[in-house]
Amino acid sequence: MPTRREFAALIAGGTLAVSRAFAAPPATTPKPGGELVFALDGAAVVTFLLDPHNSGFAPHNRVFRSIFDSLVVLRPDQSVGPWLAQSWQVAPDQKSYTFQLRRGVTFHDGTPFDAASVKANLDRISDPKNALVALPDIGPYAGADVLAPDTVRINLSEPFAPLLRNLSKTTLGIVSPAAVAKYGATFGQNPVGTGPFRFVSLIQGTEIRLARNEDYQWAPDGASHQGPAYLERLTFKNVPEEATRVAALQSRQVHAADTIPPQALAALRADPTFRVLDKELLNNNYALYPNIARAPWNDEQIRLALRLSLDIDTIVRVIYLGTLPRAWAPLSPSIFASAEHDLAKSWKPDPKRAADILQANGWLPGASGIREKDGKRLTISFIDTQGNREKRLDVIQLVRRQLAKTGFDLSIDSQPAGTYVAKMSNGEYDLAGASQFAPDPDVLRRLHLPDGRDKSSVSKVDDPEISQWLRDGMRENEPEARAELYHKVQAKLIDKTYALPIYVLQYNIGTTDAVSGVTIDTHGFPQFHGAWLATA
Amino acid sequence: MAYLLRRIAGAALVVFGATSMVFLILYWLPGDPATLVAGEGATAETIARIRAHLGTGRPLWDQYMSYLDNLAHGDLGTSFATGEPVLHRLWAQAMPTLDLTLLACVVAIVVGVVMGVVSAVHRGRWLDHAIQAALLLFTSMPSFWLGILLIMVFAVTLRWLPAIGNGSLAQLVLPVACLGLIAAGKLARMVRNSVIEVLDEPFVTTLRAKGLTERSVLFRHVLRNALIPVVTLLGILAGELLSGAVVTETLFARQGVGRILVEAVGVKDIPVVQGVILFAAVFYVLINLLVDLSYVVIDRRVRV
Repeated sequence: MPTRREFAALIAGGTLAVSRAFAAPPATTPKPGGELVFALDGAAVVTFLLDPHNSGFAPHNRVFRSIFDSLVVLRPDQSVGPWLAQSWQVAPDQKSYTFQLRRGVTFHDGTPFDAASVKANLDRISDPKNALVALPDIGPYAGADVLAPDTVRINLSEPFAPLLRNLSKTTLGIVSPAAVAKYGATFGQNPVGTGPFRFVSLIQGTEIRLARNEDYQWAPDGASHQGPAYLERLTFKNVPEEATRVAALQSRQVHAADTIPPQALAALRADPTFRVLDKELLNNNYALYPNIARAPWNDEQIRLALRLSLDIDTIVRVIYLGTLPRAWAPLSPSIFASAEHDLAKSWKPDPKRAADILQANGWLPGASGIREKDGKRLTISFIDTQGNREKRLDVIQLVRRQLAKTGFDLSIDSQPAGTYVAKMSNGEYDLAGASQFAPDPDVLRRLHLPDGRDKSSVSKVDDPEISQWLRDGMRENEPEARAELYHKVQAKLIDKTYALPIYVLQYNIGTTDAVSGVTIDTHGFPQFHGAWLATA
Repeated sequence: MAYLLRRIAGAALVVFGATSMVFLILYWLPGDPATLVAGEGATAETIARIRAHLGTGRPLWDQYMSYLDNLAHGDLGTSFATGEPVLHRLWAQAMPTLDLTLLACVVAIVVGVVMGVVSAVHRGRWLDHAIQAALLLFTSMPSFWLGILLIMVFAVTLRWLPAIGNGSLAQLVLPVACLGLIAAGKLARMVRNSVIEVLDEPFVTTLRAKGLTERSVLFRHVLRNALIPVVTLLGILAGELLSGAVVTETLFARQGVGRILVEAVGVKDIPVVQGVILFAAVFYVLINLLVDLSYVVIDRRVRV
């Protein structure tokens, strides 16, 4: 709970923002028209795959929200509200959900959205032959029945508590079945949805152009604006280099840019001609995962020594300059059942004890301070393929320095995506890092439950107790009992050093003062439906 | 004429060799294209189906022969990653890279030769020292750093030029300057040394003694002789500029084959890698063919 003074500051801040908005000439009421250009941190990925069912890549999912709508919307209090589905009933046995759909919704290609299109979407995702990334999001899906043109029943083989929240994810956005049939393998370059903007064109690696969907009348419950978007055109430019992204914004070549680096955030906030918005991304936080299938990381004691050698508070403060909080729990604080509160300050760095543990286990100081046992050096190969996105490699450099003090020798193994996947699958690494955006604690199942897990998964955890809690959590419908299961999972992940969470990502967007109404949804993805330009 | 034919045959052989070599190297790299296309969570059955579809399960020589066969018919294949025809993907990206590289070449030549000649003529004086210092700065600067510097000055502070994108001439200025100036630095040092060497030759003294003006000596006689090693260097620089385009394209958020290539190698999108290599090899060979032919123009002793 914020203190009274914090409340006062919040209210004062709000008033200031409002008065500035009203003072900004010339327009104070939304003006339709114009083109907003958004510089996106798309990393060094050149292939735009705009198929929501087949991308777990956060930067591309930030584009999806403008093209695709979902059946339900995630509200700020983490409950779900109506969107393309107006209402729903859950069967007493929790094994079927019946949705009443909104009428009069059409896809950008003119085909109607109805019960049959919902069924076609879910069937597409569930077909293992399609091997789509969204497959785990629908869990025990066992088919859908079209009861009427505007009524569809989703059947499950067992209760699946995450279903509604997962349906609010971009990865379960509704695509046009007609367009999927028409474009087949190239749907990702020809996306068709029901969203506030329709796809116009793309240039691989550099640019995605969207235009207003003039028919849009189905913004979600609680949206700041109803009806068609104000902006006539919306263009995403992929600007992977952070210095260039900030420069493009400062020189007003773009109206907005995301993932502003910490060192530039303070300057932008202080400048009255720019605005900064930020919001926690609902996320399984970026964490480091020791390869517990490989010696010596299969030994809990050695993993403990690894953890105690690290001062994560310092790392996060030095790299992110106070712009991001340090993460204690695997799940980011706002996700339902995050154990952040319980796990905060649950352990302290203790390099001395780490050294004692290593000593007791036969790892003795060798040449140049690196420990050795039976002629083998205590090396850690950290595998990476994404480069310095979110300054993750800067984090690893500090990790390397801290670990060197207790006698570990960490090296970075940077690999192209293909080699990375091969090495992850064959277990040829010691340490890896990753994050997964998600609105529900069930994301932990994807990582830590061995059944059906991808061979290249960043977590190799195979712990019967954790597996059982994750399976129970998937079925448990009572929120308190469910939260307790995930609290136990998270506590054990930290206790056994299966995961070392590092930071809580605050997704941010910087805009010029000509831009109003850009918002960040509950998941932490940008929305442009209510955005408008003063200069339009 | 025979010289020209010989050169063209040699060039064709280089292009053929480059593409064949890359084909082999790609197969030695770890990772299975079908697994990568299938993505996370794919079943063995899915991967097998994709492998059959891509044809990557066939013996190497079989794949190589069908690649050559398709190539002979002007078909570069289909991208494993996106399912688009490779020619289509390349076509969209090749022009921005060509614009960037060729213009950077022009900047390198103009700035490099002018600076080199001025420096040589003023040998040992303050202008020479100033130019030398500036050139050293350019050649030792990483392109990445020079690029950020240019953006800071001309896009953020002065707001004269756009920082990102491609399409307009204004958007070309900063990336071309970034690539071109670095190459100009190398070229100018070469020009300076070469011109100084020729200036010291006895025939120059003779020409001066004959009463020719200094300008006539410099432009009609000295430069012609001094430019031969410079032109050779230019052929090599053109290749360097093409590879430098990878960094520049990322920094200035431009389209281009460089970025496509890096990603395609990563995911073993073999047809795309082959296409880019073919493009680069043809470009490099063409430039060097032009370089060889230009000897004839510069130096009459090289006979066609």
